Amino acid sequence: MSTELATPAATKTALIAAEALSKSFGDVQVLSGIDLAIHPQEVVCMIGPSGSGKTTLLRCLALLETPSLGCVRMEGQIISQPDQTRAVKKAAQSMGRDIGMVFQHFNLWPHMTVLQNIIEAPVRVRKTPRAKAVAEAESLLEKVGLSDKRDVYPARLSGGQQQRVAIARALAMRPKVLLFDEATSALDPELKREVLLVMRALAGEGMTMVVVTHEMGFARNVGTRIVFMDEGAIVEEGAPRAFFETPQTDRAKRFLRQFED
Amino acid sequence: MGGYRFRWDVIPANLEFLLSGLQQTLYISSITLVLAMIGGMIIALLDMSRFLPFRMIGVAWGELIRNTPILVQLLWIYYVLPMALGININAWTALVIGLSVYSSAFIAEAYRAGIQAVPVGHREAARVLGMSSTQTLFRIVLPQAVRMTLPPLAANFVQLIKFSSLGAVISVGEITRRGMELSASIFRPLEVFTFIAIVYFVICWPLAMAIRAWERRLARR
Repeated sequence: MSTELATPAATKTALIAAEALSKSFGDVQVLSGIDLAIHPQEVVCMIGPSGSGKTTLLRCLALLETPSLGCVRMEGQIISQPDQTRAVKKAAQSMGRDIGMVFQHFNLWPHMTVLQNIIEAPVRVRKTPRAKAVAEAESLLEKVGLSDKRDVYPARLSGGQQQRVAIARALAMRPKVLLFDEATSALDPELKREVLLVMRALAGEGMTMVVVTHEMGFARNVGTRIVFMDEGAIVEEGAPRAFFETPQTDRAKRFLRQFED
Repeated sequence: MGGYRFRWDVIPANLEFLLSGLQQTLYISSITLVLAMIGGMIIALLDMSRFLPFRMIGVAWGELIRNTPILVQLLWIYYVLPMALGININAWTALVIGLSVYSSAFIAEAYRAGIQAVPVGHREAARVLGMSSTQTLFRIVLPQAVRMTLPPLAANFVQLIKFSSLGAVISVGEITRRGMELSASIFRPLEVFTFIAIVYFVICWPLAMAIRAWERRLARR
């Protein structure tokens, strides 16, 4: 079924990893015993039916949720676990900056211009000198094709443009890994494309990415590994080609059937 | 019937007296607004505290203030509080305290609504980017919340202008009290109170209209 099972040894050499991670909200168990190790330059696409726990897993990796059991490691060090000790919090604070996230609903700050959105964290968190942060922001805007929107407020941008700014904002912190939470789900088809192109270019540059998505074309063509989740567990994982052409489990087969038309 | 002879000339003849009352009205409303903004901040912080006893105090205080009449609160502060504490509180101070306390409960709600109107996602984005909770509060949440809070604050100011007329009951010399005094001495209630109603309206109505326009502009963003 899978190319490699995450063993504790594997999670320790990984860039970021979930180790025996479970998460419950009240009585509802959303994730049960997830082991997932992400290595540098991988583009891991997490797919599965809605409610399967993909987003919650991503949010655990982003340190937005605390696991109920198990832990999240970054470069071998625990950065999140049920008992958030001082050492864990400290590790999360210093290493957490290397985790970037792009949200389904962009979450740009509406009271700041595009440029201000991008330089805010580098200037305040990394203490980058303002002039340098601005120069870097400008080159990032060029990269996502929005140089002319530098001084515009987010409300004046289309959804696709807002999401590209959000990607530039995440990149400005020079993350080691970038998490995408259904980054194109809220967009019209023609706007999806411009965002997917930017994501594809990033993957081509060797950015480590974890992508929760419903875009099967992207997963197949850009992903280096597919993780298929259902009911809070990883049901199947493997290389994109093998997964899409010869899925091993019934659940994956059933899931993929809905995209045949 | 119908033989009433209007004597509008009593208004210009006593204008200075009436306007000194208006000055007091505006003065009291302004001071009270500032005090209530500070008090409202304290109540809002208590309400949103992570510490349960603080939260209970905040909530209980707000409920108590919002569910008793302002006039009763004023009478209580003017008559009961000095007895209870064994101190002297003059009418003016009692009015300012009473209105501030009353208004602060509503302003606390406005602050809270403003902060809660900021989407959780905006805070999460800041957190993932490594911003501290203090940075997130001052750079992301408050700048957005303040904008949402300004129209309700202005609306509260209009309320205060009107509620300060209650000072007349405990003989604070604001414009309504001045009107009562004037009407009692020249027996011209119709002219005097009509004039006073017009003065309130001329001040409050444009403010209320401006606030409505302001809120519409915010809603469009």
